[in-house]
Amino acid sequence: MNKHRLHRGLLRRLACLLKARKREARKYATGGESAPLRALTAAALALPGLSPATAQAAPGDEAGFQYGHYTEGQRQLYLGTRSKYNPIQVDTLLGSGKLTLMDRWKFAFHYVQDTWSGATPIATAPLAFGGNHQTVSGASPYLQGKGVLRYDRSFNTYRRNETTGDYVKDNRLVHTLSAASPETRMQGDFRLGYEWDESAFNLGGGVSNEPDYYSNFVNTDARWDFNQKLTSVDLGLSYTNSEINAKLNPEASQYFDYSSYTKQIDVIPGPDATPTRIINGLRQDWSTRLGVSQVLNKDAVLAGGMSYTRSTGYLANPYKMVEFIFVDPNQTPEDAGTPGIPPLLVPQVQAVMERRPDERNQFSWDARYVQFIESLDAAVHLDYRFFHDDWGINAHTFEADWVQPVGDGWTVTPRFRYYSQDEADFYQPYWLFKNAEPTFSNGKIDLSKVPVSNYSSDHRLSGYGAIGTGISVSKAIGKAIQLQGSFEYYTHAGGLKLGGGGEDSYANFNFYQFNAGIKVDLSAPSLMGDLGLSEHAGHEGHHHEHHAHGAPLPAGVMFGHMMEQSGQTMVGYRFMWSLQDGDILHGSNPVSDATVIDQGCGGRQKCSLLPKDMSMYMHMLDIMYAPTDWLNLMLMPQFMDMDMNLRQPPGAPPPPSEGGHNHGGNPHHATGGVGDVGLYALFKLFTFQHHHMHATLGLSAPTGAVDLKLVSGDYEHYGMQLGSGTWDFKPSLTYTGQWDDWSWGGQLSGTHRMESENEVGFAFGDIFQASLWGSYKFMDWLSGSVRGIYTAQGAINGRYKAPHQIVGPMDMPNSYGGRYWDLGMGLSAVVPSGTFKGNTLSVEWVQPLQDDVNGYQLERDGALNATWSIAF
Amino acid sequence: MFQSRPRGSGPALPAWCLSFTLAMTCFALAGCAEVKPWERGHLAKPQMAMEPYPEQAALRAHTYGGREAATGGQSTSGGGCGCY
Repeated sequence: MNKHRLHRGLLRRLACLLKARKREARKYATGGESAPLRALTAAALALPGLSPATAQAAPGDEAGFQYGHYTEGQRQLYLGTRSKYNPIQVDTLLGSGKLTLMDRWKFAFHYVQDTWSGATPIATAPLAFGGNHQTVSGASPYLQGKGVLRYDRSFNTYRRNETTGDYVKDNRLVHTLSAASPETRMQGDFRLGYEWDESAFNLGGGVSNEPDYYSNFVNTDARWDFNQKLTSVDLGLSYTNSEINAKLNPEASQYFDYSSYTKQIDVIPGPDATPTRIINGLRQDWSTRLGVSQVLNKDAVLAGGMSYTRSTGYLANPYKMVEFIFVDPNQTPEDAGTPGIPPLLVPQVQAVMERRPDERNQFSWDARYVQFIESLDAAVHLDYRFFHDDWGINAHTFEADWVQPVGDGWTVTPRFRYYSQDEADFYQPYWLFKNAEPTFSNGKIDLSKVPVSNYSSDHRLSGYGAIGTGISVSKAIGKAIQLQGSFEYYTHAGGLKLGGGGEDSYANFNFYQFNAGIKVDLSAPSLMGDLGLSEHAGHEGHHHEHHAHGAPLPAGVMFGHMMEQSGQTMVGYRFMWSLQDGDILHGSNPVSDATVIDQGCGGRQKCSLLPKDMSMYMHMLDIMYAPTDWLNLMLMPQFMDMDMNLRQPPGAPPPPSEGGHNHGGNPHHATGGVGDVGLYALFKLFTFQHHHMHATLGLSAPTGAVDLKLVSGDYEHYGMQLGSGTWDFKPSLTYTGQWDDWSWGGQLSGTHRMESENEVGFAFGDIFQASLWGSYKFMDWLSGSVRGIYTAQGAINGRYKAPHQIVGPMDMPNSYGGRYWDLGMGLSAVVPSGTFKGNTLSVEWVQPLQDDVNGYQLERDGALNATWSIAF
Repeated sequence: MFQSRPRGSGPALPAWCLSFTLAMTCFALAGCAEVKPWERGHLAKPQMAMEPYPEQAALRAHTYGGREAATGGQSTSGGGCGCY
């Protein structure tokens, strides 16, 4: 320890003493407000579904990261036949932070990202319609049916047995399902709050973006505490503005009527004569809420609230259709030809886009009761919510949780939920009209003569009940880290509706969802250090200065740092974004579209689509633990998402219509979800004066999907898959040095695929990377770095085993990998003192200097690396 | 009061609105047992938080919001669709 450091250590001790004094003083000034009370008032604010409260749900400053997964069961079609489509699957990532800016100012932010794919019902029709037939492929027949639907004079439905040609009475219904390529939604929001002793005020806002739905929102809320903080009242207000620009499926839109939205639809002629239709809509939501919470006694709290939401504008779903069936009783019935079956009427069927009222007023009332069970140290939570809207929906939600700590930092929470709703006034599985179809002279349906103005077959507006059972488990590790996980199984069924009369069983489905997350209390480490609770804590502070503070690493360097004190834990988060955009390269030179069309797909066939741009986002968690001073173990789960825009260059042949590309216009693809998980061991080789060297041996487990497909059933482009599909060996060697305000380092790293092909038939090329950097500390807490990087990666070995459409160079295994030179420029900050002491935040921009690609590839534009970490 | 309302009848709003206000006023004013600051230990336990797992609750609410008519748009926070 040099003199300089000793001096700083003394100052810190002094600052702590002063702080502790100040804290005492404030305690008396606010009438002896205790820590438990502060926790309570914060907790009491956490009313269900009210996000103002979640910003304050925990007393400390914290960072959190969650991953959630949702999978629906395969939809039942009929007669035990299941849909051939994959059901809906969603991967969700959630990152959040809550920080105290200054004494009474609080800041919270949130980032959520969902990626979903799979099939969902778009309409409902009588089974006899022949619409959703297992053997029929393609989108159009689903809405059109097979022309075999018949009715008798009492409007019973008849189905024809396709083998015998005989008719049988059959009133069953079936969903029409449709699949879409994966889509991603991203939402970022923030909240800024100020707290007085007995009240608080928050202001927040954010944006949410998905390909067809963009919204931004602002909100504000205030809280008042009365009665020695036994009673709290809160009032909130929010406004959301949403813009909908949804592309109607060009293959299906010629088979349904969209005339009631003509004014809202833009038609863009496509290069291959398939027009793209885009429906535009605007929507506004105003919402307000009044909540009260009351401490009943030392073991029970009751809270209640009321909310009102008014929505106006385009409230329909552009992907939902309804079937209008017109049966003209004045026609001459056909002889069915089946003994015992009466002469049958031939209906006219028309699929139309759903129409909902352009206004909705929603009210809800909720009550929560929490009771402490002293003998078991448990808490019982009972919730009830009643919902009513002017669309005719009344709904009840009951929830019961039992939160049971079981010792050793574990808490187990079994959970039960029941939900029941009535159907909306304008909901029907399909519409049956007992007259001929009113048409214009051109034969199109005249919707003005149809006696309903609002209609939806969206089963989310039907009558049903749902039961959800689940469990949450959490484990506290030390004072700072909490791991959480939960699982829920959910059953939706018409028969579960309260009071009966729900939707038929064809609409039943179930899903399960689970999530796993980590929460870090950012104030925990400094609390120990500041109060000088242990000698050990003091050491940690010193250690930090030496490594995180003293020798900053560029954000893009992984495995560059080791903890040298046994028992230490580090938690970090890494973000990487890279963009490819611009010219298509062959080797190092840009080439013309004509050349790529001719040569980019192997020469034997021409390319029909070229990549326009591709972005890749990677989120990683670093969880590191030092069992000894020479060994660190590391776990790195990874989450990926990618998006790619394609273009149809002039002179290219049209893309195959079954390839999932013929959407009209320029296709956009997105994928996202869990990537490969890395497991690493870092070994210290030597530390000598200003020099340090360590080696890393690692394995990457193939947890990321490599079999993602387009709607057509064709595999996605290789680079859009989420993992490698192979077990990979990942060694590296790192050297770092430091002198005064200067530090430097170098690293060699590699990725070797330990299998020659993955389950779908290919393996990405091996990677070698060398990087050298230098960094200078401008200020006590801030440093800048420059890094030179060389990367070489081999082409893909093998190819998809199953038939795979080649539409562009990104489907060619030899158009992957290459040799690259990059320059990285970065900044690194470490919080030197205060609540967030020891938090390190680094960013680095990586600028490509030279590309020498294999085959034909899109030029790289750059990459951004950002990391945050903290050690305890 | 909590039975589904028959079609066509007017909204049941004023009745439950009134009862809510009454209930809240009652328990706020009825002089619930006074709890001194030093008696609030149980109330401050993490399991007694109104929402012990706020992040999980947010994820679940998002799922319900995409599947149920009554669970979307109830919070005063706003947000996007994400209604797969």
